[in-house]
Amino acid sequence: MEVRRILALGGHDFTSRPPDRAVCELLLRLASEHGGERPRICLLPTASGDTSEQIGRFYAAFGERPCEPSDLSLFRLGRRPMALRDHLLAQDLIYVGGGSLVNLLAVWEAHDVASILSLAWRQGIVLAGQSAGAMCWFEAGITKSSGKPLAAAGLGLLKGSLCVHYNNEPERRAAYLAAVGDGMPGGYGLDDYAGLLWEGEGSPSAVTARRGARAYRVCNREESVSESPLPARFLPAPAPAALREDIAEFRRIKTMRKRAGWLG
Amino acid sequence: MYTLGTVLWTIKYRINFAAVVGNAFGISVHAGERGIRNFGPLYNRREPIPVDHLGMKTVPRQIVAFGGGGFSMESGNPLLDDYVLALTGAERPRVCFLPSASGDADHYIVRFYRAFSAHRCEATHISLFRREQGPEDLRAHLLSQDLIYVGGGSVVSLLGVWRAHGIDEILREAWEAGIVLCGLSAGSLCWFAEAVTGFHGAPKRLQGLGLLPFSNCVHYEPKSKRRESYHQFLREGMCAGYAAEDGAALHFTGTELSRVVASRPEARGYRLDVAGRRVVEMRIATTFLGDRGVVPTAPVPEALSTAVAN
Repeated sequence: MEVRRILALGGHDFTSRPPDRAVCELLLRLASEHGGERPRICLLPTASGDTSEQIGRFYAAFGERPCEPSDLSLFRLGRRPMALRDHLLAQDLIYVGGGSLVNLLAVWEAHDVASILSLAWRQGIVLAGQSAGAMCWFEAGITKSSGKPLAAAGLGLLKGSLCVHYNNEPERRAAYLAAVGDGMPGGYGLDDYAGLLWEGEGSPSAVTARRGARAYRVCNREESVSESPLPARFLPAPAPAALREDIAEFRRIKTMRKRAGWLG
Repeated sequence: MYTLGTVLWTIKYRINFAAVVGNAFGISVHAGERGIRNFGPLYNRREPIPVDHLGMKTVPRQIVAFGGGGFSMESGNPLLDDYVLALTGAERPRVCFLPSASGDADHYIVRFYRAFSAHRCEATHISLFRREQGPEDLRAHLLSQDLIYVGGGSVVSLLGVWRAHGIDEILREAWEAGIVLCGLSAGSLCWFAEAVTGFHGAPKRLQGLGLLPFSNCVHYEPKSKRRESYHQFLREGMCAGYAAEDGAALHFTGTELSRVVASRPEARGYRLDVAGRRVVEMRIATTFLGDRGVVPTAPVPEALSTAVAN
């Protein structure tokens, strides 16, 4: 049987800053373990409404790396038709971007993507994502899809619940602890740049790309909610990719112009 | 004299007394679709007349379904947008744009505000992907509008997202409260019981909100895949309905088609029925909004063409 893997990330971006590079490196490594030298990585930007911004950042991060990046934009299928099932099941890693958890699940449901993702997971394709894209794999999460932080259901591939941006958005953490106290299944809290990796059966291993960012286990024990940090493995940031010659030159010229402007 | 039972029944089924009395004297008055049907020609009426009944204000329910057009598709041709604004009867109508079918695309929202500028209406929009920025109470906001304008895109995604946020129920309420509902493409299909979507891949059949008990097909061009598929779906049991070409709009009052208007002289609307295995397509007389002194025409289907199944 294929090893089922899910990487849930509390929050990150696709910039060239060290912690973001570290997260990208981990995603690439997981994809390569499934797909070899040039793994196929597909972005599902559904939760954001398929914004150009999210898609652009994804390609900026993976475009120059040893992989085949693609995006499946359900709102843009009109201009770019794709066979959803064939495309998704041909991937090595499916990455789900952040946004509205409620809309993400509603749109997936409408397009029947949920069943394809669960099949992909069972076939060993790595599922990953941040924020709404991390909570969607659990039974429930705390989303701001309606403005205020509220509990919402996920796909339920993983047991329990997840709260992202844990200490970065205190009102979200408070809503999560209250919800777990009220009977929502317990689970995990993830700070930005902390992640949890499930590989096969058993407990997840925690990773962190930024000092101080942690993963927490949150349980409802006899009338009180307990929260305990999990030991996490630190992900070092790889050296930044060397700038391409033309980009380096462009930046030099830009700097020169700026200086000339200040002088003249 | 009415018995108590009659009065209760009347309230329940919203019988429009003014309409019944008016009809008896040969005056054509509009009745809601749950009132007595076929009591008089609806189409002589120029503007829907709000009627006071038992102290309750009855306003007509109106939907304008564009086959395609308006600011999204016809930049520089505001005829359809002007038409829906005028329907509200308000001097400075409150208009709310729902761009959900596009995934709340920023460029689309910007184009809406450009087209519905502040000097002629009070425009707002609701982004269901960015709820933290918009009005907190969606229901209160939508029910305070004069016009709700739904943008184009993926109707499958649109309906999914609406249901998740309870917008489907709110829109029904808005319609019943007399708020004008309109939209193009996905924003037209959504109002009907059944629709033909050709957003990606082969045209598919799907269920809409069902405010209008018909089927609908947009961007209805001769020799198109959509038209072919629509006819096939009709033969397979899809309910009868209406189609509109780009630039044509179907204006429903209650659930009756009251007229077809167009922003292009050649654009048309169609009525589609099935008789056994035959699909009967009738072109509907259409009013071009660009002509001066436009006189409303009767929405009587002209039997111009009949498509026969093989």
